[in-house]
Order: sequence, then structure tokens, then C-alpha cells
Amino acid sequence: MDLLSFFQSLEETSIALAIKEGDSFFPWLESIHVLAITLVVGTIAIVDLRLIGYPSHRRGARQLIVELLPYTWAAFVVAVITGVLLFISNAVKYAENPLFLIKMGLLVAAGLNMAVFHVGAYRKITEWDDMLPPPASARVAGASSLFLWICVIIFGRWIGFS
Amino acid sequence: MTLQSFTTWLYATPFATMIRDVPWIIPSIQCIHILAITVVVGSALVSDLRLAGVLARDTMPNAVVRRYLRWMWGALVVLLITGALMATGEPDRVLTNSLFWLKMGLITVACLLTWFFRRPLLHPEFKLEHARWRPFVKPAAWLSLAVWVCVIFCGRWIAYTI
Repeated sequence: MDLLSFFQSLEETSIALAIKEGDSFFPWLESIHVLAITLVVGTIAIVDLRLIGYPSHRRGARQLIVELLPYTWAAFVVAVITGVLLFISNAVKYAENPLFLIKMGLLVAAGLNMAVFHVGAYRKITEWDDMLPPPASARVAGASSLFLWICVIIFGRWIGFS
Repeated sequence: MTLQSFTTWLYATPFATMIRDVPWIIPSIQCIHILAITVVVGSALVSDLRLAGVLARDTMPNAVVRRYLRWMWGALVVLLITGALMATGEPDRVLTNSLFWLKMGLITVACLLTWFFRRPLLHPEFKLEHARWRPFVKPAAWLSLAVWVCVIFCGRWIAYTI
């Protein structure tokens, strides 16, 4: 089965039809999706700004990351679940939408950026925990993350207009 | 002048017509609007959870509030401007929408909560543990978070109701 017919069959599931044809499922999912994304990006931005060198409510970068990451992940899970449900309601159209594909690419890039940070600068965080500004590798990670997530939001909003 | 005649007049102004007719204006304004919401949500989450006694309990609440309040006011100004531009473009869909006015009411409540329970903390000699309204700090923090969540839901739903 190719990808397109898989998306087609997703669209025909009863849950996808309910979201598509119901009056209020879609806006409810969208609202939760927006709330979750603002929580994801809001908490990530605080960490990113600290990595770039802007002081936070925590002196140490590690403590800030450990403190906020659970909220980021919890909100991210909600954003993915609601995002998948929004996607299956019109899977083929979204899969063919370049803006949607760019958004997915940006999410992958944000994930890779985070992975690089975790195996790189984060391993030696005890050496720069209290340093302001942090080392270049951490500043680059923070700036790229902030840029990628801002783009995720911009492309996400534009999907609704395409 | 009634709201109806004001709406009709505003709708017909060249400025409102331009916002409606130039295709990239509304999506761009909405992107900036959502990005500003992430700033409010991130700041509100950290400062409210601190005041609620959930997050960063070993730091001074004054320090946390001082750090995030400026971001919050800054983002609110951006939200006010972008929101006003969206309402100017489609006053017939916004100003006559009861959800829009509910949203404005909720924002007023959130701002009042911020003004009464957070702004005093900016004073260098203020001690939260000596404040007469100490018992209300926690409930006010939870209420503030709940109000912001409702504001986001109202915002998304305005697009679906006339």
C-alpha cells in the first residue's frame, strides 16, 4: 500500500469522518492544539533565551532545563495527538500541502537540533552552567531552536489559509 | 453612534478594506499575534506556577515575577495592536461577536489579577509573606492560568462564530 492510499484510508476512518463532519470537533481540537503549541514554544523560548545568554529566573541553565522540560514534553504530546487528529480529518490534502510538509520538516530539524545539543554542549553543562553568556555551541543551539519554533508557528498558521 | 453604524463605517474605510483585500496581511498579523501569545503563556505559566507554589519554590517570587512581567506587558501591547488590526479588517465578524467581548472581559480579568497580585511584587521592599492578601495569592495564580486558557479558546472560536 502506498502512502497516498494509506492517507486515503485514514480519512475514511470513523474518527476522521466525525472530526470532518462534526460542527465543533475541529475547532475544539484546534483550540487545544494552539494552547499546547503556545505552552511548548513558550517554555522552549525561555530555555532558548537562556542558552543564547539572556538571564532567566534560574541562575543555572541545567536547573532551568530540568525544571521546564517536563511541561514542554507534556504539552508536546498533546500537540502531537491533536495535530494527528486534525491531520487525519483531511489527510490527503494536508499531505499534498507544501506548507504542511515544510512545517513537518521544521519539526524534524528542531528535534535534530535538540538531539545535537543533548549529545554535545549539554553533556558538559556542569562546566558552563552558571556562565553568561554560555559557550558558542549552546548559543547556536538556542538561537536555532528559537528560529525553528517561530517558523513552525508561522507555517502552522499559514496552513489554515492555504 | 451605535455599534452597528460604527461597524459599518469602519468596514468601509480604505484602511479596513486594505487589511481585508491584501491576501498576506491577515495571516501575517495572526502569526505575530500567536507568537505574542506564546510569550504571554510562557511568562504566565512560570510566574503563576511560582506563585501557586509549584515551580522554583526555592527562588524568591519577587525575582521570578520581576523577570517575566516586562515580557508579559510587552507581548500584551503587541497583542493589542495586532488584535486591533484584525478587528479593523473584519469589524462585522469581530465587534458584533459575543465571544470576542467575552474574550475582552477575560483579558481584563487576567490583567487585573496581574496588576493586583504581581505588580506589588516589583517593589524592592515588598515582602509577599507580610501582605494582607497572602491567602489569595495561590487561588489567584490558578485563576489567572485558567483565564488565559479560556482566552486562547475564545480566540480560536471567534473565527468559527458570527
